[in-house]
Amino acid sequence: MVKKKGFEMSFGLNKKGFEMSFGLNKKGFEMSFAWLFSIIVGAVIIFLAIYATTKLVVTEKTVQNTETAKEFGILLNPVETGLEESKLATVSFPVETVILNDCSTSGDFGRQGISATSKSNFKADSAGVESGFKNKYIFSENSVDGKDFEIFSKPFKMPFKTADVVFLIGNKKYCFVSPSTDIEEDIRALKFTGIKTADKVSECDKDSEKVCFEFSDRECDTEVYSLSKSVKKSGKTEYYDDEFDNSLLWGAIFASPEIYECQVQRLMKRTGEISLVYLGKTEYLTAKGCSSNLEEGLNGLEDATKKFKNSFDLRAVSPIASELERRNNGLTCKLF
Amino acid sequence: MDLRVNCSRPLCIGIARRGVGRKGQMKIQQMAFVLVALAIFFALVLIFYLSVRVSNLKDSAVGLKDEETREIVKKIGQSAEFVYTQSDCSGCVDLDKVLILKDRNVYKDFWGFDYLKLEIIEGKDGECNKFNYPNCKTISLVNSTKDFGSVVSGFAPFCYWESEKGGYTRCVLGRIYASGKGIGK
Repeated sequence: MVKKKGFEMSFGLNKKGFEMSFGLNKKGFEMSFAWLFSIIVGAVIIFLAIYATTKLVVTEKTVQNTETAKEFGILLNPVETGLEESKLATVSFPVETVILNDCSTSGDFGRQGISATSKSNFKADSAGVESGFKNKYIFSENSVDGKDFEIFSKPFKMPFKTADVVFLIGNKKYCFVSPSTDIEEDIRALKFTGIKTADKVSECDKDSEKVCFEFSDRECDTEVYSLSKSVKKSGKTEYYDDEFDNSLLWGAIFASPEIYECQVQRLMKRTGEISLVYLGKTEYLTAKGCSSNLEEGLNGLEDATKKFKNSFDLRAVSPIASELERRNNGLTCKLF
Repeated sequence: MDLRVNCSRPLCIGIARRGVGRKGQMKIQQMAFVLVALAIFFALVLIFYLSVRVSNLKDSAVGLKDEETREIVKKIGQSAEFVYTQSDCSGCVDLDKVLILKDRNVYKDFWGFDYLKLEIIEGKDGECNKFNYPNCKTISLVNSTKDFGSVVSGFAPFCYWESEKGGYTRCVLGRIYASGKGIGK
């Protein structure tokens, strides 16, 4: 028997078996072992049920987010260009979604990772399993959120077509201040809803990302300089090349600096591999009477892509590619 | 309240005085059985649910894999490694490049396929190599497993350099077969 400050508790066996009682002195109530046992075991069962349900809900969310990311990756395929110079599509989700862009340069081609999560539940660890693609190149911020995503693609050439690069725009609005003619033409042709052009920074919406061409201003978030072929963003300078197309310029504007550098490096890896394919092709065709004499140029391009470290090295790759294109254009039996 | 059983421990469930605790013990045992049965029942329900869910998940994964394969096959003729660039022929496959691609091992895992084969519809029998090309039937680019599941196919024009008659580009009808990477057993 335990007795303290008027509270009393006792255990024992009566005719009905085990009994337990506790209460305030004489006004106590009795509780049989059956009750005690069922309360404890019941509590354990309820706890396990709640735990299992919570786990199931989390798993279901992970499955849903994984499927979303995979489907989004699949939807990027039809956006890729054929003979077109660029292509625009809109992907809509039923709820606000965050697309996480991950890029890795490891391996022969690097890897594009896409994961997704619904925005209401957005936490760094709540995204589903990442879907990986070796043949996709998405230029965007590390995470892009929105319900409707504008996706547009452009071919990347160096000097031959290497890949289709994809640009992802979510909720964010862009304001291009005095853009170059080719960029303005692209905006007009593709009819973006998320990009507006203006002559002055003051004409831009306050919450928009201001992209200034050829000038710097305190309010500019991104500055583009065509003379140095560079883009200043988040305090970092990225370099692009527009000798064959302006896809890298678009990439530098939309992508975060680390994603941009990673994707450019991956594109260079693929350019190197395609150079080797063309090298094999020209060696084969030479034997069939279709000589191109481009072996040296292709080897040079492959070497330059191997030495590629960051976007500044585009200045080394671009002249080799230009020379290769010039010589190929002069051939009657063209290689590419 | 009195302790009606002379017991050395406070919870002496196992000790039952003859004729006094038997009924109570029976009830405890009944309840224990019911609770164990209940736990087993819930476990079975959970196992049933998980098996159905895993099965659905597998179907969904296979569906996504097939959908992805279909989309890639539709566009593979326009990818840099396949596309015929000498003329404006969207979707034309450069068979000369594909023949070279066959020997490039780095591409075995590039598209995420377990199986990728090109077939020249009116080609002669046999797998293509540098000696019998273009008088051959198939070019197998990826064949990583015997059990590659369902195959998606699509027709495409295949173009190559023909050295006869002074040299010209010849295009023939071809078919691309592909199967996405397995999702595990």
